[in-house]
Amino acid sequence: MIEFKNVSKTYPNGVKGLKNVNLTIDQGEFVAIIGLSGAGKSTLIRTINRMIDITEGQLIVDGVDVMTLHGKSMRRFRRKIGMIFQSFNLVTRSTAIKNVLTSMVPDMGFFRVLLGLFTREQKMKALEALDKVGILDKAYTRCDQLSGGQQQRVALARTLNQSPSIILADEPVAALDPVTAHQVMSDFKRINEEMNISVLINIHHVDLALKYASRVIGIRAGEIVYDGPSSQVTQAVLDSIYNGASVPQAGE
Amino acid sequence: MANKNKLLTDRPLSIEEAYEARPRLWWIYTLIVLIVFSLLAWSGTAVKFEGFASKGIEVAKGVGNGLIHPDTNLLFNLTTEGVPYQLFQTVAIAVLGTLIGGLLAVPFSFLASDKIVPKWIAFITNAVILIIRTIPSLVWALVWIRVTGPNAFCGVVTQSVCSIGMISKMYITAIEDIDVRILESLDASGCTTFQKIRYGILPQIIPNFISTVIYRFDINVKDATTLGIVGAGGIGAALIQCINSSRWSMVGAYLCGMVVLMLFIEFFSTKIRNKLTRGQ
Amino acid sequence: MAKKKEAAYRVPLFDRIFKPETITLPNGHAVQRPRSRTPLIAAILIAVVWASIQLTGFDIGIIIRRGHQFTYILNRIFHPNFSYFTKVIGPLLDTIKMSILGSVLGATLALPFAVVASTNINKNGLVVSLCRFLLNIIRTLPTLVIAKFAALIFGLGTFAGTVAITVFTFGVVSKMMYEAIETIDMGAFEAMESAGGDKFQSFRTACFPQILPTYLSYCLYSLEMNIRAAAILGYVGAGGLGLLINERIGWRDYEGLGMVLLALFVVVFIIENTSQYLRRKLS
Repeated sequence: MIEFKNVSKTYPNGVKGLKNVNLTIDQGEFVAIIGLSGAGKSTLIRTINRMIDITEGQLIVDGVDVMTLHGKSMRRFRRKIGMIFQSFNLVTRSTAIKNVLTSMVPDMGFFRVLLGLFTREQKMKALEALDKVGILDKAYTRCDQLSGGQQQRVALARTLNQSPSIILADEPVAALDPVTAHQVMSDFKRINEEMNISVLINIHHVDLALKYASRVIGIRAGEIVYDGPSSQVTQAVLDSIYNGASVPQAGE
Repeated sequence: MANKNKLLTDRPLSIEEAYEARPRLWWIYTLIVLIVFSLLAWSGTAVKFEGFASKGIEVAKGVGNGLIHPDTNLLFNLTTEGVPYQLFQTVAIAVLGTLIGGLLAVPFSFLASDKIVPKWIAFITNAVILIIRTIPSLVWALVWIRVTGPNAFCGVVTQSVCSIGMISKMYITAIEDIDVRILESLDASGCTTFQKIRYGILPQIIPNFISTVIYRFDINVKDATTLGIVGAGGIGAALIQCINSSRWSMVGAYLCGMVVLMLFIEFFSTKIRNKLTRGQ
Repeated sequence: MAKKKEAAYRVPLFDRIFKPETITLPNGHAVQRPRSRTPLIAAILIAVVWASIQLTGFDIGIIIRRGHQFTYILNRIFHPNFSYFTKVIGPLLDTIKMSILGSVLGATLALPFAVVASTNINKNGLVVSLCRFLLNIIRTLPTLVIAKFAALIFGLGTFAGTVAITVFTFGVVSKMMYEAIETIDMGAFEAMESAGGDKFQSFRTACFPQILPTYLSYCLYSLEMNIRAAAILGYVGAGGLGLLINERIGWRDYEGLGMVLLALFVVVFIIENTSQYLRRKLS
């Protein structure tokens, strides 16, 4: 469970990323976060695994106040939260399986890390993760030989391989064509349903958000302007999120 | 420049006005042409063609003949005089020279980046790299000969030193080109700094470093063929002896061997480097 | 179509000798893991290095025992004999002149050859391959060997050096240029041809402006290299600083050598920085 309690984020240059956000996201939800560029979507997602520090309020993830974490405890905390990026962030010169295996590195001893020695069980687990996203046959192919959609699936497999309870995805389909975007989104949906992993996605494509997510959060200038089931998102709601017309909050 | 006139009037420009408002860069072009031509005229003063040397035409004929009829006996002779042995020795010099140079260049490239070390250390390292690069390899060889004596080992030492300059320069570029977004994702999965370097940075730079070393190997093989001229081993010594004594068919044999070797090495090094950096 | 491509893809020799391992997951799905190439590559590398050590008489002991000799010479080089400067000026200017003239001549000659050797302009495959083969051979010849021949044919002096620099520049710039020409946008060229231009006219108006900055940048780059290359040509009698370098080392006058190298260093530094500044402006 993720709880935002009066959370605000002010950047050092004075820009307000988040303004007094209150949210509760239960385990196993599929949440799409929509809004204009710069509205605070990325900030919201990145505060959850503390890639960005919040400046006010309290953020509790699975019973842990994230601002109390540091060093080793923070790294251990991050193991439970997978993150997916718009630009895939793979080592493109390594094979798919090597990229997936990197997510196990934090749990390994110094010399195994240094020499890159992975056990047979780890390799099998990585292959299973690749199988779950349907690209087992590309396991030993270098990532620069894969298409954008395949690369994003490798990234997804890498995240699954760390057995997370939450997956954060920052614009995961922005660099993909529409057909591939649908495939990747349905991968997320499947993972969400089959493995009961919470999925939080920042997304620009409203149609994709409404189709795959069960809950939509609309954010404008750092404030939550809509929070409710995707079925209740109307044109008026979208106008308020994207154009600033005021619409009463739906939901809860 | 063309916009200057436009700002003064609100109405569209007439054709004459547009023409008048054309950018006038003729004086820059004239200046460039003048500089280039005066440089050329100046350099022309040193170069006077005084006709062919007394034996010039004979030499040209001899080289041509030698290339058409190389000494096949020498070309396939397996003793130390033969072309194959000489070529292997040339390659051997380049292999060791490049390898050692490539290893020595690693600390140099890190010490030359002012993001990693204090500015004054980076400055000194860069100055040393510049000096190494400026002094021609032949001069290095002539100096090292005083230490090692005139043999192939001298060639190895020379190339180890000479290669540092260029290789570390290319290493630095590779280090600067690292995709740091990967570090972000490793960060998000809870990696320590050491783990981020091992799995985020090394897999990216190692193919680049190897590719650089292979590229320099290409250059070093070519360079090693001339080091023999000063006595630092390799095919050059035998070649220059044959040229000096006008044994053109032997010259032809050595040249043929060199050309084939160079084409062969360039073909494979390009292939391997493409595989390393582009994966195909 | 994808299937056809897969069928046409040849299994590498390595994977045919060392058959890939099949890994089966608990759920029955299987994947082929190609055998690691690392052991084979490592074995080859070790063999090559061992052979190289044998062939070159590699002996690190010599460096340890006689290394002081090197630092002694280096020390003397770093105390240049400034009074020798007056003797350096002449050959230094010769070196600069040789490299400027050689660069300009070589780069000018290279342009038409590069156009003929680029596949997107010249559709005649035979001519392209022939041209490239010739260029490849020219590039494999070491500058010093070319200079030696030139000195024998045209007599000792700067003319031979200029010829060597020209040939060397020609080889390098042609190759870089045909690679550059092949990456240009051919749309404008087609537009010119469809408007009734012949190949030369179309190239001149549509392609030339595209490659001009690259071309000039390569010319400057080759000038940078040529200054350094020209400095040693004198060693085989082709004029310039090389003659002095040879002479100073022969007489063990390392302070004089230091002066020659210092002069070269300053010139290279100035030319490299000017050229790099201009190249940045060009791009």
